[in-house]
Amino acid sequence: MNPDLSVRIGDLVLPNPVGVASGTFGYGSEYESLMDLDSLGALYTKAVTPEPRPGNEVPRIVETPSGMLNSIGLANPGLDAFVRDKLPELRSRRCPVIVNVAGASEGDYLRVLERLEDEVGIAGYEINVSCPNVSHGGLAFGTDTALVERLTARLRGTLRSERPLIVKLSPNVTDIAEVARAAQAGGADAVSCVNTLVGMVIDVDRRRPRLARGTGGLSGPAIRPVGVACVFRVSRAVTIPVIGIGGILEARDALEYLLAGASAVQVGTGLFRSPDTPARVLSGIRDWMVRHQASRVADIPGMLET
Amino acid sequence: MRRFDAPILENRELSRDYRRIEVEWPPDSGVPRPGAFLTVGVSGTTDPLLRRPFAVSGFDPRLGRASFIFQIRGPATRLLAERRPGTSLDVLGPLGKGFPDPPRGSRPILTGGGIGLGPMLFAARDFRNRAASGGWEAPVLVLGFRTAAQVPDLDFPEGTMICTDDGSTGMKGTAVEAADWAAAGGRYGPEAPPSYYACGPAPMMAALDRLAASRNAPYWAAVEQWMACGVGACMGCAVRLKDGSFARACADGPVFDGSRVDWGSM
Repeated sequence: MNPDLSVRIGDLVLPNPVGVASGTFGYGSEYESLMDLDSLGALYTKAVTPEPRPGNEVPRIVETPSGMLNSIGLANPGLDAFVRDKLPELRSRRCPVIVNVAGASEGDYLRVLERLEDEVGIAGYEINVSCPNVSHGGLAFGTDTALVERLTARLRGTLRSERPLIVKLSPNVTDIAEVARAAQAGGADAVSCVNTLVGMVIDVDRRRPRLARGTGGLSGPAIRPVGVACVFRVSRAVTIPVIGIGGILEARDALEYLLAGASAVQVGTGLFRSPDTPARVLSGIRDWMVRHQASRVADIPGMLET
Repeated sequence: MRRFDAPILENRELSRDYRRIEVEWPPDSGVPRPGAFLTVGVSGTTDPLLRRPFAVSGFDPRLGRASFIFQIRGPATRLLAERRPGTSLDVLGPLGKGFPDPPRGSRPILTGGGIGLGPMLFAARDFRNRAASGGWEAPVLVLGFRTAAQVPDLDFPEGTMICTDDGSTGMKGTAVEAADWAAAGGRYGPEAPPSYYACGPAPMMAALDRLAASRNAPYWAAVEQWMACGVGACMGCAVRLKDGSFARACADGPVFDGSRVDWGSM
């Protein structure tokens, strides 16, 4: 049996369910000599904001038990430089390129999307309403269901292409299912979850936080059970596809997300440990599907015994 | 840059605080330059999770061997200290930009503070080997430690000055004082305009910045910063420059024009 690994998100067909998460993969070229980018299920770019952003003060990262905190602050060269310097190379990739869009206001998100609608070579958009490391926008959007629905609806109204709109959700909310429903009501084609969890590490000898900004976003295997539970709840609250993110290092981790209800997954922090993680995860999913007689990835969520 | 399993040839204690691991370096894995680094996957479990960066402290292309020096600072380096020869290390490298060659006619003054000695040892050997063809003077290597018990058991290249804060061995004083003395002619004359190279703690790096500026000399600095990806993707290892912008230690560095780095932020 040769399982069908393709995945449908809106009108977009991903060749396989294993993508690389925004913010952990730059714009792809950084990893070029270490892996085959063409075989990725999807490449989610570093967030693009209208203006260049230098990012947060350093230190920006600290390791935690089975995880890490980051406080990068959406550092990116801005929309113009993205289109001029990064997009041409991204276009040459054979994997679907999904641009992660961020901003400090509704207008910021609209501006990025409007401009990118004029550009070819983009497979979809992931709307980052869940970054915990910026003062304006980011998480401030993602925790308010009314704002999420309105922003999603306005972005939907701006879209002229068939590119799917994926809303990236934060786990730092009381009820993530409610936010997912708001995204769906606003016209999202899919939701991805989860972004990082707010966390903090304190250096007790120096009596100060280890990150310059105090708090950061927790990622890695430490958050995997949280991510899996979020996907489980969200996938039962919405009818659109759910993309699972959080602590995937092995195929078994990705399969937890797929069984919980995800249509696809993203590998993030796992790349830092080993750039071959996406390839290993994909090959393990294929083997599992053969063993468990799953002919399509879309069949996996229905295979969970509860 | 490649990721490969590198057989460990040696894992030796060099002093109370430092160890050196030497690995086989496959011929198709690129040539590490002085200042370049590699990252090592230290555990098969999720804790520690991230790879650890180490500056290359020596490279022998003929024998296909590379080494790095490390200090046991936490669980990851403790695990590394226990790795035995005959087993393999998960290595990714070479990474980052190395030191540029010294200007013709200059005398390279290489300063290593504490664990910063690794890349400086590599640079000192390389610059000495190529001094005649490159047209620069034989380098001076200044290594600063707190005390004699820290000084590694190594064959230092000719032209090495050891200094300790407590005077228990070598010169009593800081590496910066020794570097200043060496640049002024020291015992290695004849006098030639200095070119500075360094790796070490931020206060030392800042002092060398002032010293180089006062002598109107170039200053190349290898920085240390926490890293996640090591390949330029995650923006985690940012270093603040004096103009207010950030650069990535892993991909834009780790070697920078030391006069551009905001040492106060490190």
